[in-house]
Amino acid sequence: MTRYTRLTGAAVLLMLVAGALIFFYAPEDFLQKEPQRIFYLHVSAAIAAFACFAVVLGASVAYLRTESPRADRLARAAALVGVVLTTVTLGMGMLYAKPIWGAFWTWDARLTSTLVLWIIYAGYLLLRRLAEPGRQAARFAAVVGIFGFVDVPIVYFSVTWWRTQHPGPVIVTNALPPEMLLTFLVTMACTLFLAGTLVAIRYQIETLMDEVPSPAPSHPVGAAPREPEPAR
Amino acid sequence: MNRSVAVAVAVARKDLTSEWRTRELVPALGQFVVLALVIANFGFQIDSQNAPVIAPGVLWLALVFAGLVAFGRAFAAEREQASLEAMLLTPAPAAAIFAGKAMAAALLLIACEAVLLPALALMFGTPLNVPLVAAVLIATVGMAALGCLFAAMVARVRSREVLLPLLTLPLWIPFIVAGGQAVQVAMGATGNYNQAVALLIDFDILFVVLTSLAARFVLDD
Repeated sequence: MTRYTRLTGAAVLLMLVAGALIFFYAPEDFLQKEPQRIFYLHVSAAIAAFACFAVVLGASVAYLRTESPRADRLARAAALVGVVLTTVTLGMGMLYAKPIWGAFWTWDARLTSTLVLWIIYAGYLLLRRLAEPGRQAARFAAVVGIFGFVDVPIVYFSVTWWRTQHPGPVIVTNALPPEMLLTFLVTMACTLFLAGTLVAIRYQIETLMDEVPSPAPSHPVGAAPREPEPAR
Repeated sequence: MNRSVAVAVAVARKDLTSEWRTRELVPALGQFVVLALVIANFGFQIDSQNAPVIAPGVLWLALVFAGLVAFGRAFAAEREQASLEAMLLTPAPAAAIFAGKAMAAALLLIACEAVLLPALALMFGTPLNVPLVAAVLIATVGMAALGCLFAAMVARVRSREVLLPLLTLPLWIPFIVAGGQAVQVAMGATGNYNQAVALLIDFDILFVVLTSLAARFVLDD
């Protein structure tokens, strides 16, 4: 059994524990009834996604300073997992919004900024695929990773400052009942562990892909042929 | 410092001279924004009642897409003639070269705004006043810095036409949020104009500083 198999097993087990708490331990919400149970994973996924993008920011800054291929691989891995988690957040949020707000989507500050976040990092992944692999892709992506993270709080706050008519924060404004709080905290911890596991696995995949000699680079129209990247 | 400014001005002058001699981009951009107004007319069924409500949105849509075209072209000539490499071989700092390119692109976009804003006022019956022009010009500064940074980046990447809007538009959203508010107020809506413009200036400072720090990594190879 490799390290990754054990990690994955632990992550799956932990998510099952979280699921058991969500469905069997946490009390049903008085107003929102069953759909409220989406809340636990929805918010946890959002927090885990933010953590991933913070890792992208840190790794991007580290890459620009040191040009370390490991920092670049970490940024790649965390960006992919972050986009997946943001997708989960948006998807579960829509399922949650339909029964509670009556619509899948509103132009709420939080929804809009999350969508922008998703678009920025989806663009990051696309840039990684289209830029010439190696130093150029890593540098360009690092710049996008830094600007993307700077942009998100701005989008978030700039929209809240004005569109105050949006429905109040969905997250805890008053203290949750202890059972709900415990369920939420456990789910969040499990989701963060899952995210960490996914990043670790993806990091390993990126390492292996870097080690495989890339096929002869195809020169796109307009781009000058370049020297092959030195082996790392 | 003085030398950097001189380099930036020289690069900007080179770009503007080349545009003046060919007259390629600005007339095309002018036609583009007028076409955008025509399309908005058919898309929205504009009449005297709803025109003032729709006009700010039309302004930003036209401006944003004209901006993408302008910045996408900023590095086209350099790419076609591989002249960027020649510039980078000189001892001039990369940030200064980048600032020059951004200044020239911003001035071309301002030329396009000089068509867009009067056309909007004429065809939509909205006011054309100093607060409106000021808000758009202030937003142009930061948008130019960001747009040029990503234009420099995608100039060396496959599918650059697709990638430039994908990278640039999400990062322009702060300018559209604050600029949209400022333009709405300037056109007669209620709201806080000063706060919106102050925020635009904050974004300008933030992104000009960040792009000048990042320019080295995007231009150098």
